Amino acid sequence: MAELLGPLFSAFTLPFMARALVVLLALSLVAGIVGVLVNLRSLEFISDGLTHSVFPGIAIGFVWGGREGLFVGAMIAAILAAIVLTVITRRAVSGDAAIAIVFTAMFSVGILEVSRQTNYAGQLEQLLFGRLLTVTDAEVTQTLTICAIALLLVGLTLKQQVFRAFDRTALAAAGYRPLLLDLVLNVAIALVVVAASSAVGNLLVLAVLIVPGAVARLITVRLWVLFPLAAGFAALCAWVGLALGFEASVTAGIDLPSGATVVLVLVAGYLIVLLGRLTVDRMRRPATTEPQPEPVTV
Amino acid sequence: MTAAPALRVSGASFAYAQTPALTGIDFDLLAGEAIALIGPNGSGKSTLLKGILGLIKRTGGTVEVLGHDTAPAGTVGYVPQTDELDPEFPVSLEQVVMMGRYRELGWLRLPGRKDRAAVTAALDTVGLGHLAKARFGELSGGQQQRGLLARAVAGGPRLLLLDEPFNGLDQSNRDALVGTVERLKADGVAVLVSTHDLDLARAVCERVLLLNGSQVAFGPRESVLTLDNVQRTFHEVGVEMDQHTLIVPGHEGH
Repeated sequence: MAELLGPLFSAFTLPFMARALVVLLALSLVAGIVGVLVNLRSLEFISDGLTHSVFPGIAIGFVWGGREGLFVGAMIAAILAAIVLTVITRRAVSGDAAIAIVFTAMFSVGILEVSRQTNYAGQLEQLLFGRLLTVTDAEVTQTLTICAIALLLVGLTLKQQVFRAFDRTALAAAGYRPLLLDLVLNVAIALVVVAASSAVGNLLVLAVLIVPGAVARLITVRLWVLFPLAAGFAALCAWVGLALGFEASVTAGIDLPSGATVVLVLVAGYLIVLLGRLTVDRMRRPATTEPQPEPVTV
Repeated sequence: MTAAPALRVSGASFAYAQTPALTGIDFDLLAGEAIALIGPNGSGKSTLLKGILGLIKRTGGTVEVLGHDTAPAGTVGYVPQTDELDPEFPVSLEQVVMMGRYRELGWLRLPGRKDRAAVTAALDTVGLGHLAKARFGELSGGQQQRGLLARAVAGGPRLLLLDEPFNGLDQSNRDALVGTVERLKADGVAVLVSTHDLDLARAVCERVLLLNGSQVAFGPRESVLTLDNVQRTFHEVGVEMDQHTLIVPGHEGH
């Protein structure tokens, strides 16, 4: 047993693995909670749009300020994108089309900016797929700060966000401003995107944001259990994914990118839970009896 | 001195984007009184309720709630049509009713003993205390409607807006809802209810407002609910009426 579980702990005695784990655990906690709200509000497409829209900020920040400029650029883009998104979804006749147009355009701006650099391919790969194992102490601090802000935003408005998700009109009747709550949630989503971008990369952020909430919905219908469950599931997958990638590299010589490995563990966890849910539903379903043919009378 | 009406709507018009939805609405609603909004589908009943809540753009006239241009926080309860809600939403009846207490709780405070007592009392008021822990989406349509009314009651509103609360309800659920509305009125709550149900209008509403894109008639129910007025309101679809029933093509069971 100890031999089996050993690799789950031993890898994290190395400083770069410990830093990666800290980043992912903080991210899991926030992404789990924000992800449940994304799921309850069916904001998956909007979240995808936000990952695209933050990319030019990441790219411009990276090109102008290197790794130190990445967070600043991403934060500015995230806040702007969250505001634009909130206004678009409220005002646009076809919200989804507007989101798709604006945010793919912004993603293209990011690509154009990065492509002006000589080391174009390498930089783009880092931005899109992350560089979890090379995060610095300063980046860990930045990530924890951003996660804390996002957690604060959703934590202070959690009751009202759930009310908003369930019944927007009654929320407004109670004297709340749905637009303000939408803006707060969109900023929190954008901050998760920023925090996750350097770790798992811009393209894989969506999985961290969406899979834990979807898993929690499969497991329970108890509202306030959804949040810790999603965060716990994300943290478990992050831990197992990191350890798995490390072990594959050290013992088998297989180079598994850590961000992608974590995402694949998340998706594998989702499939296992989905299978379990389908099995339980099937067992609970009352057995149907074969319809007997009507007796034929001549 | 006469107290200000709970709701005063003067020459109000509402629009979706640039498209006018409802024009020329004039009425007031007193504390402890109920008004029935009656009109065909698409006549603007829900628009008026949402316009009063400030969710739809007012393009003319004035709306005053308890003497204010904007409804004071926590004074208005709204009961939507249940088909506007996601039946898969993972929430219990008790949690739905607790939402009615959020205004009182504020941003940071968690529900305490007083809030739980208010939720229990609201559920008992609508006769659903025994289903507090049930999942909201698994309740019948009538029970959901009563649950949403309990949520509004838990917030202690002074003005209650009900959007077609009697659609598709069986007799026991209808009786329970009528009883609750009567009790709220006795406590001084002003009630504005959209409905096709003349029985309801006669049972709990002192006055009736007929509308179809604009106000057709408004006044005491006996003088407004005439066959001529009702036919003018429902002229596009054709209507028949007896003492209890409004028979409108396309509207079930009324």
